[in-house]
Amino acid sequence: MLPSFSYARPRTLKDALTRLSASGAHPHAGGTDLLGCLRDGVFDAREVVSLSDLAELRGIARTKDGGLRIGALATLAELARHPDVVSRYPVLAQGAAAAASPQLRNQGTVGGNVCQRPRCWYFRGDFLCARKGGELCYAENGENEYHAIFGGSGCHIVHPSDTAPALVALGATAVVASAKGSRRVPMEKLFVLPAVDIHHETVLAPGELVTEILVPPPPPGARSLYRKVRSRAAWDFALAGVAAVVSVADGKVTNARLVLSGVAPVPWRVPGAERALAGKPLDAASAAVAARAAVEGAAPLAGNGYKVDLVRGVVEEALTVLATPATPA
Amino acid sequence: MAPVVGQAVPRVDGPAKASGSARYVDDLTRPGMLFGATLRSPVPRGRLLGVDRDPSFDWSGVTVVTAADVPVNVVATIERDQPVLAAGEVRHVAEPIALVACEDRLRLERALAHLTPRIEPLPAVLTIGEALEARTAIHGADNVMKRYAITKGRGRDGLTGCEVVVTGRYETGAQEHVYIEPQGMLAWWEGDDAHVVGSLQCPYYVQKGIKTVFGLADDGVDVTQATTGGGFGGKEEYPTVVALHALLLARKSGRPVKLVYGRKEDVEATTKRHPSVVEITTGCDRDGTFRAFAARVVFDGGAYVTLTPVVLSRGALHATGPYRWDDVSVEALAVATNTPPNGAFRGFGAPQTQWAVERHVDRIARTLDLDPLDLRLRNLLRSGDTTATGQLLAESVGAQRCADEATWASGYRNRRGAGPVVAGRTARGVGVACFWHGAGFTGSGERYLKGRVAVDLLPGGQARIRTASTDIGQGTETVFRQIAADALGVPMASVDFAIPSTRVVPDSGPTVASRTVMVVGSIVEAAARELAERVGREAERSGSTRAEAHERLAGTPALATCEKQYEPPPGLAWDDATYTGDAYPVFGWGCDVAEVEVDLDTFETKVTGFWTAVDVGRAIHPVLCAGQVEGGTLQAIGWALTEKLVTRGGKVLNPRMTDYIVPTSLDAPPFTTLLVEEPYSRGPGGGAKGVGELPMDGGAPAIAAAVEHATSLVLDRLPLLPEDLFEASGAARSGGGPA
Amino acid sequence: MRIVLTVNGAVREVDVAPVARLLDVIRETLGLTGTKEGCGEGECGACTVLLDGTPVNSCLVAAAQCAGRSVVTVEGLGSAERLSALQEELVSHGGAQCGICTPGVLVSAAALLSRGGVPTDAEVREALAGNICRCTGYQKIVDGVRAAAVRNAAAARGAS
Repeated sequence: MLPSFSYARPRTLKDALTRLSASGAHPHAGGTDLLGCLRDGVFDAREVVSLSDLAELRGIARTKDGGLRIGALATLAELARHPDVVSRYPVLAQGAAAAASPQLRNQGTVGGNVCQRPRCWYFRGDFLCARKGGELCYAENGENEYHAIFGGSGCHIVHPSDTAPALVALGATAVVASAKGSRRVPMEKLFVLPAVDIHHETVLAPGELVTEILVPPPPPGARSLYRKVRSRAAWDFALAGVAAVVSVADGKVTNARLVLSGVAPVPWRVPGAERALAGKPLDAASAAVAARAAVEGAAPLAGNGYKVDLVRGVVEEALTVLATPATPA
Repeated sequence: MAPVVGQAVPRVDGPAKASGSARYVDDLTRPGMLFGATLRSPVPRGRLLGVDRDPSFDWSGVTVVTAADVPVNVVATIERDQPVLAAGEVRHVAEPIALVACEDRLRLERALAHLTPRIEPLPAVLTIGEALEARTAIHGADNVMKRYAITKGRGRDGLTGCEVVVTGRYETGAQEHVYIEPQGMLAWWEGDDAHVVGSLQCPYYVQKGIKTVFGLADDGVDVTQATTGGGFGGKEEYPTVVALHALLLARKSGRPVKLVYGRKEDVEATTKRHPSVVEITTGCDRDGTFRAFAARVVFDGGAYVTLTPVVLSRGALHATGPYRWDDVSVEALAVATNTPPNGAFRGFGAPQTQWAVERHVDRIARTLDLDPLDLRLRNLLRSGDTTATGQLLAESVGAQRCADEATWASGYRNRRGAGPVVAGRTARGVGVACFWHGAGFTGSGERYLKGRVAVDLLPGGQARIRTASTDIGQGTETVFRQIAADALGVPMASVDFAIPSTRVVPDSGPTVASRTVMVVGSIVEAAARELAERVGREAERSGSTRAEAHERLAGTPALATCEKQYEPPPGLAWDDATYTGDAYPVFGWGCDVAEVEVDLDTFETKVTGFWTAVDVGRAIHPVLCAGQVEGGTLQAIGWALTEKLVTRGGKVLNPRMTDYIVPTSLDAPPFTTLLVEEPYSRGPGGGAKGVGELPMDGGAPAIAAAVEHATSLVLDRLPLLPEDLFEASGAARSGGGPA
Repeated sequence: MRIVLTVNGAVREVDVAPVARLLDVIRETLGLTGTKEGCGEGECGACTVLLDGTPVNSCLVAAAQCAGRSVVTVEGLGSAERLSALQEELVSHGGAQCGICTPGVLVSAAALLSRGGVPTDAEVREALAGNICRCTGYQKIVDGVRAAAVRNAAAARGAS
């Protein structure tokens, strides 16, 4: 059973954005998280605005510059099997495929996956935590084995998305629209740490909506993958993961972007690890060095120290896999 | 008539279930029906001062029930300590305090939100450790609910003088049943008669609970089972609470009331597998011959006694594992905590103690540098041996055969001998576990229970089985028809199975304890045989065909029905005072071999192969029987690898299937299931024993042994999540790991 | 609001609250109770239906989203009297025990089989990863689905 709210099904993006500019309005895309949040009172809505009639938010297509335009309503299933994504952006196809169960991938959209609310059990449970407007982060001195080891301050959620780390690693840009107009936000700047804004996970202003995501062409010689560690093989959120995009030319790493999932309130880029790879051959030795660099600055809580080892392990493993020539670009 | 026992006949409830036409409780409605909901305690312990209704809310059309509305405020199980609705105090988070019903489900949720319990919190006891310390007493002076002691030979003194003494401590956490259909009941009154239909295992348990609360006679209560979407023990005692709540709302509102739990509520409020701590010390010879076994078993019973004493008993009785010991001492106790009562869950205490003993046997093997399988084979119980309670194992002891078949089919020796197979960044290992499970009620249970079954001859050559044994997915409806058809000498299609309803079926005892096929099935067989004889005699007397004789008997009420009662096997003796004698009529036996692949970077564990051999006496229906084995094994694998109930201040933090992680199709290994048949002379269909719980016993220790083989990490606490492996590897690296 | 949708091949017009879940519309408004609710959060898959041929969790689909679309529930796969090959094989291989997950399992499997061919063990497991079964251990479900695929393939060969 859901609490009552009004429901609008606008035919045009303009109408949708006008409705979303009203206070208490929430967009409804796949609905896989929205309906649960409303039922459990994670947040309230006065009006739910369906995006399902907005054809312009759908589709995955190659752009003129050789990149990719992903409509915010593209489903995770579409993303995971799209030939262009699978062949040129394996990290993104793998992130989408790892996101959830088959049914949820059929329903869930990339826009929703990127903007979903955190899964912290205090945030989702009957606790008025700091993120919900309370005083405390209950995880700080509570059960925190699945919480952040980076970037937590006053709140220790981890960002739950599997596609967002891939999109950050690919240098993608979100197109964000509101009734007042639209703007472009690099994916890396879309997410916000609790130290900056403890109540939100993104920089989206009220009434703003991610309408599409633009992915630049893959850099020459790029290899990529997404590796997610979880306790069961399907439909589980990441304990930790890494989205890795590494370009190699003449046997040397020319560019590397490594973004961690499941360990910080935002997709967590590890520039130290990226620098450690630059100019080196991509091999077991450089992978080990980069893996150590990836956990520099980690500040685990009482119950999640293992995540430091886990991140080191998963980064090293991912880079080692990328180093084997059989890995497609 | 070709026999159907032993054949994989089509499952009789299959078409209804596969087409969506089977009716579960949430699929049922009655005219004028209201929906019910439960107000629960937010704190683990406190003085309940009252329940406030928000006066600004429109309460018209809303029925509210509190403890004041309950005629006799007791959930009748073993003790009478659990109230139907809390009165004066609350003892666990999610304890029911008040009930609400109305027509509209949205308004129902709002009404619930405008009802507030006034509670003065008190200090709570939340763990076994806190309970044993007893700084806060919540049950007697020492928080101990129940104690047992089992002694054989010299008891603990047998350790003295043993060549090799090994000590270990083993722990398990709570486990949630996650039956996919949550708890639910539909209740209504007809005059003074109470009616409930719902999701349940034991109609007569529910009937007893209703009789006690409302002061009704047997025939004033009608409890009917709806198609039930899984139980695993979770619908043994708890449905009584749901039925009582629905009936209270129905009585006050004068309307039918349906009370179906949501998933979160179900996980927060209902029973779990008892968490346990088991400490074992053993003595053996240098060659690995077991001599003396001493254990201290502690279970967390939760806030009320419910079934804890019997769960603890079964745990204690299985603590030695399927091994021969000259001297035994088992001290078992259950403590009270301010958590929801822990209760029946497939295995009923035995999986916890067998986790401990199997890990301990691996510890002995490590100490002696023996192969874990060789050590087991040397000590497995055989025909003619005696158990810890002095029970002579006279027949149907398939322990050895199971071990042989499972280890042969899996190639265990080659895999084990080759050492862990490290390929790239993963390591594969194999592990073995042997186990046993007493079939039927413990001790004199069946003798007291006197389970009854009726079989009727009906016109048209038909027959009908009437039993309170429910089909909750295991296939009782099908298997009982097979047994009865063969005993009657008629085709299976001629045998019906009456819907279990207390006004229609006699009390066969509860659907628990791996007793349905073996104990109740044998009564079905006896009743059907007697009817077949009656038909034969009538045919002979009247010189007619059997078909004609059948019709004549079917039309003669005094002769058409045969009701039989459980006959205890002769010679079975049990002494409750000393805990000695025949603990069970017979045991099922098993051996599991697990193969796992562990990612050495991330400590993710994948079960890549699973071989299980179980001695079921006789498989009445091989496919359904193997289905029990595989399903039970996967529950054990979940318990071992992913299922962890996380609590804070007595509150469950992961009450959803998103974060309470049960295995999916991608986590389940391919199963190789070997049914070993060492017939039990008194089992139906040519020797069937119980099978329901047996497969829950071996999976977890087999997996831990395989993980140990792959990684050299010794893990003695369940579950084995990646974080636990990291912790163990950190301890091993820093030299602080267990020996 | 009134919406028109196709359910198991029949055009149905229903009056629904805009925020009603497709699950409730199917079960309560249309009386098709074969689709089950196990968790209400899209985690167990018992409520799986096909929406325009694709498996979705009907507990997370707003009815309003379904206007003009086609829904197939377990009742659309075959009745108790006339089971499809998939339903029959699932049962005979022991893939249904308590039966509460069975409708969702069958719907997900039907989507897989509609692609034709005989899926591998791994493909079946992947397709059913969103359908939790607590009874069977999955092996017998996988066996049943693959047996149905073999039967369907043989029937298709026979028909061509």
